[in-house]
Amino acid sequence: MAYTSYVYLLLFLSITFLAYNLVPNKIKWLILLLASYLFYCISSENLVIYIVISTLSIYFSGLFIQKFNDKFENAKKYLSKEDRKLLKAKIARYKKIAIAFALIINFGLLLNLKYCNFFAETANSIIHCFNSSFSIPWRNIVLPLGISFYTLQATSYIIDVYRGKYKADRNLGRIALFLCFFPQIVEGPIGRYDQLADQLYEGHSFNYENFTFGIQLIFWGLFKKIVIADRVNTLVNTVFDNYVNYRGMTIIVSVLLYTLQIYAEFSGCMDIVTGSSQIFGIHLSKNFKRPFFANSINDFWRRWNITLGTWLRDYIFYPISLSKAFMKLSKNVKKHLNVHFGKLIPATFALLFVWLGNGFWHGASWKYISYGMYYYVLMILGMFCEPLFSTILSALHIKRKFKWYHIFQIVRTFIIVNIGMLIFRADDLIVAAKMLISTFSGFTFATLANGSLLTLGIDKLDMQVIMFGALVIFIVGLLQEKGYSLRQTIASKNIVLRWCVYFTAIFFVIILGAYGVGYSPADFIYAQF
Amino acid sequence: MEKLLVIMQEIKPGVDFKKENNLIENCILDSLDIVTLVTEICDEYDIEITPLDVVPENFQSAETIYKLITRLQNED
Repeated sequence: MAYTSYVYLLLFLSITFLAYNLVPNKIKWLILLLASYLFYCISSENLVIYIVISTLSIYFSGLFIQKFNDKFENAKKYLSKEDRKLLKAKIARYKKIAIAFALIINFGLLLNLKYCNFFAETANSIIHCFNSSFSIPWRNIVLPLGISFYTLQATSYIIDVYRGKYKADRNLGRIALFLCFFPQIVEGPIGRYDQLADQLYEGHSFNYENFTFGIQLIFWGLFKKIVIADRVNTLVNTVFDNYVNYRGMTIIVSVLLYTLQIYAEFSGCMDIVTGSSQIFGIHLSKNFKRPFFANSINDFWRRWNITLGTWLRDYIFYPISLSKAFMKLSKNVKKHLNVHFGKLIPATFALLFVWLGNGFWHGASWKYISYGMYYYVLMILGMFCEPLFSTILSALHIKRKFKWYHIFQIVRTFIIVNIGMLIFRADDLIVAAKMLISTFSGFTFATLANGSLLTLGIDKLDMQVIMFGALVIFIVGLLQEKGYSLRQTIASKNIVLRWCVYFTAIFFVIILGAYGVGYSPADFIYAQF
Repeated sequence: MEKLLVIMQEIKPGVDFKKENNLIENCILDSLDIVTLVTEICDEYDIEITPLDVVPENFQSAETIYKLITRLQNED
């Protein structure tokens, strides 16, 4: 069930909202749980079994770990320092077994379902190098809805319980709802138990501001998805599917439009699901923060798919870089080789796993791993060359605070991100390299004016709507970047003006949406991950 | 505290760490800076900072970082 479909918006969401507001606060969470499992079963049918297994695995492992955490907390007051250490070590063994069980179940299911064909293909390529006719057969697998997202949620919960960040939940229903809450199951955002579970469980009475702000967000998301992303889809597919026929500016425009498409679609989906949650009084974590205003790739990844970035940071980057082994290595490099390199050593190794994880999470393909490695190499180069950049800037009397330098950084980041998107969208790394090289041949600005772009599956009106949509997104982003809250401003206006704005927005979505003859609604790209 | 301020100045020169109270929210320290800072602090104060301690509340200002160091020293 797509979030942009009438079935979701007019039936599923509306009925759930009515039911939620009709029942007493105490049992409202049951409506959400029922609706979430109904949503899951409609979308994924009997594959619901996998999310049930994940839920049960973290629930029972959590309780088991909590039993030992409590045992240690109760006993430690009466023990000497030495005995405390002994007990802690003894308990740690049992806790490790429990967390290993939960992690193996959850990552095991993900690896088996999502990556088995990738591993088989890779193994077959190696086997064929030895002239063997043996090959591992391809398995026809349908992925359970949102498995990449809920697996990360499940593992974050069990790791946090293990670390003692919070206590394990004794309510199975609450854990089940945390994992399969319907607005976030398809594309995230990847929620954290301590930020979400209480909100889901508490009953929220109807709140006019939450309701109107939620509806506004849904329409803003629909505008991005239906008006912009789905319209761009045709042109992008035409060029990327027949890239050998195109060069120069056509390739550049298609890459820029793909970046616009994926942003409009992914952030649009986040707006729809955040709005869907807000009408119930539930606030999901922010997943986008105007990424194209970023002045470095680090900054870009703090603004794009934020919840994935923070998951990788908290559960991969910090544990590796702050491990005793890397701290010791850093100390030795500082002492014997170079202080600057010594400081960067833990982060360098940890980032390798972060970007491998990022690439691999996006898909079972070498191109996604290349995509991760592209950012890894750039980030490492930036870190190690920082003293050189500072020297150059100082010699040229350029201060980082200069306005023009800030704009230069934004443009530079934008170009780097677009090359990354080219790798992400192209069939493989070789195709991406060929397309990148072909941008330099036959390059002419005349392509923008001679009508050749209008032979790529979209007409003049489509192009005008796309340009208009991109401009609206840019202006809204710029205003937000300057700290201006558009929604608050609209809400503060009188009823006539306010509803004029609302009707205009609804009008744009209905009239300019890319549906009907000649269009086919594109699937959400991130839903495939 | 003075020792901590010197470490922080070395990692991020030009920031007035005595006055700055929103090091994370204002993006003055990113995750790479935090790792460098934690490595230096563990080295200097002979304490162990785990990923569980690396939360924004503990790294908002020099004062909160110093409180974390004191707490971990006392726990040891």
